[in-house]
Parts: sequence; C-alpha cells; structure tokens
Amino acid sequence: MNGPFQRDQVEILSERLKRGQISRRDFATGLALLLGTSAIGLRATPAAAQSKDLVFVNWGGDAGPAYDAAYGKAFLEATGITVKQDGSGPTEGAITAQVESGKPSWDVVDADPFSAEALGKKGMMEPIDYTVVDKSKFRPGFGWEYSASTYFYSYIIAYDATKFKDSPPKSMADFFDVEKFPGKRAMYKWGAGMWEAALLADGVPADKLYPLDLKRAHDKIAAFKGNVVGYWGGGAESQSLLLNGDCSMAIIWSTRAKLIEQDSGGDIGFVWNEGLIAPGAMAVVKNNPGGKDAAMQFIASSQDPAKQVVMFEMLAQGPANPAADALLPAADAKYNPVAPENFAVQIPLDMPWYETNYGPALDEFLKIISA
Amino acid sequence: MIRLKPGPVSITLAALVAVFLLMPLIAVIPVSFTPTRYLSMPSGEWSLRHYRALIENPAWAQGIWLSVRIGLLASVTATLLAAAFSLGIWMLRPAFAGAMMGLALLPMVAPPVVSALTLYFFLTSLSKVNGVIAYDTWAGVALAHAVMVAPFAVVLLSVALGQVDRRIDLAARSMGAGIGTRIFRVILPNIRFGLLTAFFLTFVLSWEEIGVTLFITSVNAVTLPRLMWMGLRDNIDPAIAAISVVLIGIVVVALLIRTIWSLRVGGRDPG
Amino acid sequence: MIRYRLLLLGPLLVFLAATYLIPFLGIVRWSVTLPEPGLGQYRAALTDPLVTGVIWRTLRICATVTVISVAAAYAITLVWVRGGSVARALSELCILIPFWISVLTRAFGWLSLLSNRGLLNTWAQQLGILSEPLAMVRNEFGVVVGMVHYLIPFAVFPLASAMRAVDERVLLAARGMGAGRVRIFWQVFVPMTTGGILGAALLVFVFALGFFVTPALLGGGNSVMVAELIWLRIFQSPNWGLGGAISVILMAGIALLMLAGRRFAKGPGQ
Repeated sequence: MNGPFQRDQVEILSERLKRGQISRRDFATGLALLLGTSAIGLRATPAAAQSKDLVFVNWGGDAGPAYDAAYGKAFLEATGITVKQDGSGPTEGAITAQVESGKPSWDVVDADPFSAEALGKKGMMEPIDYTVVDKSKFRPGFGWEYSASTYFYSYIIAYDATKFKDSPPKSMADFFDVEKFPGKRAMYKWGAGMWEAALLADGVPADKLYPLDLKRAHDKIAAFKGNVVGYWGGGAESQSLLLNGDCSMAIIWSTRAKLIEQDSGGDIGFVWNEGLIAPGAMAVVKNNPGGKDAAMQFIASSQDPAKQVVMFEMLAQGPANPAADALLPAADAKYNPVAPENFAVQIPLDMPWYETNYGPALDEFLKIISA
Repeated sequence: MIRLKPGPVSITLAALVAVFLLMPLIAVIPVSFTPTRYLSMPSGEWSLRHYRALIENPAWAQGIWLSVRIGLLASVTATLLAAAFSLGIWMLRPAFAGAMMGLALLPMVAPPVVSALTLYFFLTSLSKVNGVIAYDTWAGVALAHAVMVAPFAVVLLSVALGQVDRRIDLAARSMGAGIGTRIFRVILPNIRFGLLTAFFLTFVLSWEEIGVTLFITSVNAVTLPRLMWMGLRDNIDPAIAAISVVLIGIVVVALLIRTIWSLRVGGRDPG
Repeated sequence: MIRYRLLLLGPLLVFLAATYLIPFLGIVRWSVTLPEPGLGQYRAALTDPLVTGVIWRTLRICATVTVISVAAAYAITLVWVRGGSVARALSELCILIPFWISVLTRAFGWLSLLSNRGLLNTWAQQLGILSEPLAMVRNEFGVVVGMVHYLIPFAVFPLASAMRAVDERVLLAARGMGAGRVRIFWQVFVPMTTGGILGAALLVFVFALGFFVTPALLGGGNSVMVAELIWLRIFQSPNWGLGGAISVILMAGIALLMLAGRRFAKGPGQ
C-alpha cells in the first residue's frame, strides 16, 4: 500500500499540513482516502502522530523536578515543546513493552548505555543522530550508537556518621566487614556494581575485575547475606533505609549522597573510595510519538554545560560535558563523581561486559539474595 | 431475645485485633505534623508544612479531581453491567451459570499483577486506533478500573438478590407483568440498597486502585494513589502522611455518622 | 427469552471477554511461543530454582497470612455479630475504617510504626525495653503484618454471614444440657461456622497470592514473591515467555483453588 505515488501524496499532504494550509482533520481524511483504511494508515505516518509533547522517562523521585528545571523548561521556551516527566523507570522490559505495543508513548529515556545498546541492536531504539547531538561535548570514550552520555553517577558507600565518625569506611572490604563496622547493610537490588563490590572486598585487584568472576562474587554475597537488611530498588528506598536507621552502611547512588547528607543533618556520610562509577545516558525509543527529530534536539539541548550544572546542583549528577567542570562551585566538588580527586579513587563499570552478561548475572544474583 | 454474648476472653482478643487494625492509621497522624523534608518521627517540633504542601502543590488537587472522575465513570459502568448480569443470572437461571460467574469474577480473583499486564497490553493496543480510551488517558484508566471493580459489584448484587423473595417476582409475573416491569418496578426497588452499596464500593475501589493503575499510566493520568505511590516509593514525601490523615478523617467521620444514625434508628444489621 | 438473556447477561460477559479474557490469552500465547514454540517455558518455570524457590516462599507466606488473618477476623467478628450494642458498634468501626482506607495509607502507617526509627522502636528504646532497634519492616515479618492488616476485613464478611446463620436455639439447647461457654464455643459454635471459615480462608489465600503493593513497600526487596517475579520477568530482565508461563501457572492454581472451594464450601461463604 505504500507505493511511491501514495507516499508522494502523503508527503505533499503533510507538507501542506505543516504550512497550515489544511486542517488536521482534512489531513486525516485525505490520508484515510489515500490509504484505504483509516486507523492503520494514520499510525504509519509520523506527521499525523507528531504531537507537541515529549515524554521523558526517568527513575522517579527528585529526578523529575530536576530534569524539568534543568532541561524541560528551557526546551519549552526554545521550541514550544513541553517535556513531561514520567518517573516510572525505563527498564529494558518496559521499553520493550512500549515498542512491542506498536504505539509507544515514551520519547526519551534515561537509560543505562548498555541496555540502550542491547535494545538498539534489537531495533527498539533510534540511533543517536550525531549531526544534531554534538559528540565533542562528551568526555572522550563516552557516547554510543544508541545513547548519548548525559551524566555520571557512582555506586558509593554511605555510612552512619554517628557510629563511624572517627574511622569512616574506606573500601569495599570495610563494607563487607561487620566486625570492624558493626550494623546492618543495604545493597542494590538489581545487581549492578554489587558484583564488583564483592570481588573488591574479596581481594580482586581493581584492574583485574573484568570479566567478572561471578561465582566468586556470588559466594561472597551469599556468605554476607545475613547482614543485609534490605535491597533497594530505587534511590528513594536507599535514602529511607539510611534515614530510618534500618542500616548502618549502604551502597547507594552518588546522586543521592548529597540529599541524604542534608536530610540527615550530617548524620549520614559517604566516601568515594572504590566507588563504581557509571555513565548515565539518554536514548530515544524507536518510533517515538513526539518524533525523532524533536527527541534528538532535546538531547542536544541537554548538552549545554550551564544546564548540566543545574542537574549537578539539584541531583548531583556528574556533568557529561567537560566544559561544565569549570562552572561548578569549588565547594561542591566533594559531591561530584567526575571531580578529578574523586574520579581517581573510583573504578568505572565496564559497559560491554554489562551489555552481554547483565541479564543472566542478575538472575543468579536474585536467586542468591531471595533464597 | 436471649443471646449468648461473647465472654471476657473473646472481648479481650477482639480488642487486641481492633488495636492492631487501628494502630497504623493512628501512627500516621503525628508523622504528618513533623517539620522535616523527609519522613521522620515526631521530635517535639510541630509544623503544618506538609498540609500546606497539599494545598500549594496543584498536583494533589489535580490527582483528586482525576480520581473522582475516573471513579464515577468506572463505578457507574461497573454497577450497570453487574446489575444487568446479576439480574440475568437470578431471573433466568441460565445453563452454565457457574462458568459465566467464573468469567464475571475473574478480574477479582486473578493476581493484580496479571490483571495489570493484561490491561496494559489491552490499552496499548487500543492506543493504536484511538487517543481517547487508551494507555495513560483518564478514560482508559476508567475502563480498566471498571473491569477490575465490576466483579465486586456482581458479588454484592448477587447477595442482595439472594435476599429478595422470589415469590414477589412470581406474583408480578403471574399478574402478567412483562420482564421490563418486573425488573424496574419489582426487583430493582427491592435491591436499591444493594445497588447503592455496589456503586459506592466500586467507586471507592476505583478511587484507591493502585496495582493496575501503576502500569497503565505515565504522565497524563496521574491519579491520587499513583501520586501517593510516587511519594512513598520515590520521594518518601511526608505530604503522604498529610493526605493520609485527610483521607482517614473523611472515612472516620462518614462511618461515625453512619454508626450513630444506625444506632438511633436501631437494630438493623449493617454490613 | 433468548433476547433477554443476551440483553442482561451479554453486556458484562462481552465487556470482560474483550477487555480481559482475550488480552489474557495473549499472555498465554507468549508462554507457548516465546522465544520458541513449545512448553519449554513451563518446564523452565517448574525446574528453575529461582522460580520454584519464590513459589514456595509465596505459598508459605500466604498460608501464614491466611491462618493469622482468619483467626484474628474470627475474634473480632464474634464480637461484631454477637456482642452488645456498644461492642458491636465499636468493632464495626474497627473493621470498616481500615477496609475503606487505601492500601497505600496503611502501608505507610506500618512503615511509620515499625521501621528502626519508627514510633514503636523509638518508644521501646526510650522506655528501656530495647537497647537496639528491632527490625520489623523490610523483611518477611513486615510483609506478613501488612498483608494480615489488609486482609482481615475481607475475612470478616464470610465469617459474619456464617455466624449470623447459626441457630440461636442450638446454642441455648447446648447450654440447657449443661455445656460450659468454652465447650459450646469449640464443640458447637465453631463447627457450625466451618463453611464460613473455609470461605474466608479461601478468599484471603487467593487475594494474598497475587499481592504486589504491600510486599513492594514493606518487604525491602529480600522477600521476592511471585507477583514481583512476574513483574521482574516482564519488565526488569525481560523474558516474556517465562513471565507468561508463571502467570498462567498462578492463574491455574487459583482456578483449582476456587473450584475446590466451591465443592467444599459451596461458594465463598456468601
């Protein structure tokens, strides 16, 4: 049904629609006539689906308001496109479900680069358009086919400073040592960073971590399990585990560290040592309702160093654009995962390893923590 | 009538259960008056900031209004469908009534997560053909809620019909009343209390539905429970305590009025 | 007659078939087609130690919850149905107030009460009963407490109708023959309400099986139950075929339970 002629007609129609020569309803009627079927035909044309909104899916909590303040509002002013924040979490399965439904309602997702790559290879993500998104605004080595580097975060140790003020934990070995640092622990439910933590604690040198020795990591975690009070699935949960005093030490996202420190009035501290640093990225869902171009523009707009500073101030995201470093207030460097002195003591997660091994490794991990 | 009344042991056990039932609801009250940004326990300082947040943040009012609209549409739809169905079962006693009842009660007994998946894929496939009743629209959520709460209306109305004396229907029939007259003049007036209860229960169930709503909404149809879930899971926002106290207050006042009223009218078994 | 049959029974059945049954068959289809056609996912579900472990834990938690909920509901229903007018009014309020309040508010209440810096731990430490806070949420205990609290009112209704149906004269006759209170209760009253007990237990167990919200909020991640496992298989590390197979197994289990319940209790106590 998509013969060259019809396609040409459709293009003319949508061209006229864009110029405002015909109303949207005329356009739909014309299309329906051309294609013979109304409902199915409409879906196939991006022009008809073009809406004035973008839906940006993040992981909830304070992230929504922060993204809105840093990127959303400015994008609305510049382009007239509203960016709505959905905090429900763009997990791999949720993105798959969106794409499989045939009519995704999500546009841009705050995804792990490795899952964006895996999904992209299955045809579920739009490749990043590097004519719009500027690769030179990334740190070298960060920027992938299906996702664009937007920030850095890290899995770091946070601890009850009322208990360990004088000798705070300094390594993952300390995290796993309940003799020296008594109390319960909390860990991340979805595995990432936890294997590395266990292996580091078990004496594997940082430069020999990958490929991960999962058996050894899981043995370590299984033996330690009795000391873990909870496995958090989202940033807010990790916050409440610490703030409610449910544990004396937790591995948390560095983006939560500043919030926890403030909310607890300094009773919760954190360290960068042996933090496991990871890149965060934006990716675009295939056939997104707001249109690929608008989504790429949005990503490009988020590369502005001044806006990334806002994200740093509100969420402690380490800026992806190195030009932002100079704009950061020096006093806040201690919350910045990519500040040179912090970056130096951390270990980067290996994205290619995660792309191929994450799914099965997570299954094993869950088997152990929920046994 | 002479009745054997519960003895001290029963009363004590029941009182323990009562304390257990009310305890978490009472616990919410002091938390709602704390001054801190995150969920914390009272420490002597009191503040109304979380109540102020409820008024100042328009999201709460929007969520409440959305939940009211969804609840009304869902409960009217569910009650009407369930009333017709229950009447059909009661009056016609069809073959395979058991299987039909099974289908009618399916969304109630199925695990919420399975219902959520089912309705998620149903609504996203509706999204392909229209933008009104679809994923993340208020009408779509109302439709899903109607599915989820209809079985409760079926149960309530079947119980109500079970208490209707069949002889009045037989009498009407023998006097030549058509099926319409029997339904609207004879049977429905007899179960009007059941209809009202069904409407009210389905409204409340929709008003507080979260298990399915979580999956079928994104940014446009943020109902009150979804807003509360975000506050609980994502933000640990003590505004949750404030809204909870408001909701508890409404329920307690409504039930107290009802109890006092029924005590004064006397005798009739509520339930 | 056919016309009325269609008019009365048709709408709800067509509505539910279109919105629920047919989409559910889509999930059934995944379970036998993804990633390849066959029953492989069912074999995987029943042999995978993660899945079977979670199923066993779910059954164990649900059984515990059922026993506690029904016993507690029995105690308060007894007073509601047979107590004096003040006791009845009070117990009715205690049953109905939580019943009408959202599961989110209730979970939040338990978090405020039971967490390490919650009201109970704070008081117990101030009074010197505890030196270290006792972990009561973010574990199985918290999940059981939250679920029992949610389900007691549901257990009350079938029990109440069974208790209301007890013939007063039988009890008076038993007393007339010299039976004491305890004996009347255990040997006459309880056996006469067995149908209600079974109905309540069935209802509670079935509702508990698919619980999602309360464990997610009170479980702290270490007590994964079957509903969360399905969520995990659909959304977190996707394997829709396996997620579908677990859903179908769960639905089949519930259907069997309901059928067995009909046979034993002739409907859930209504």
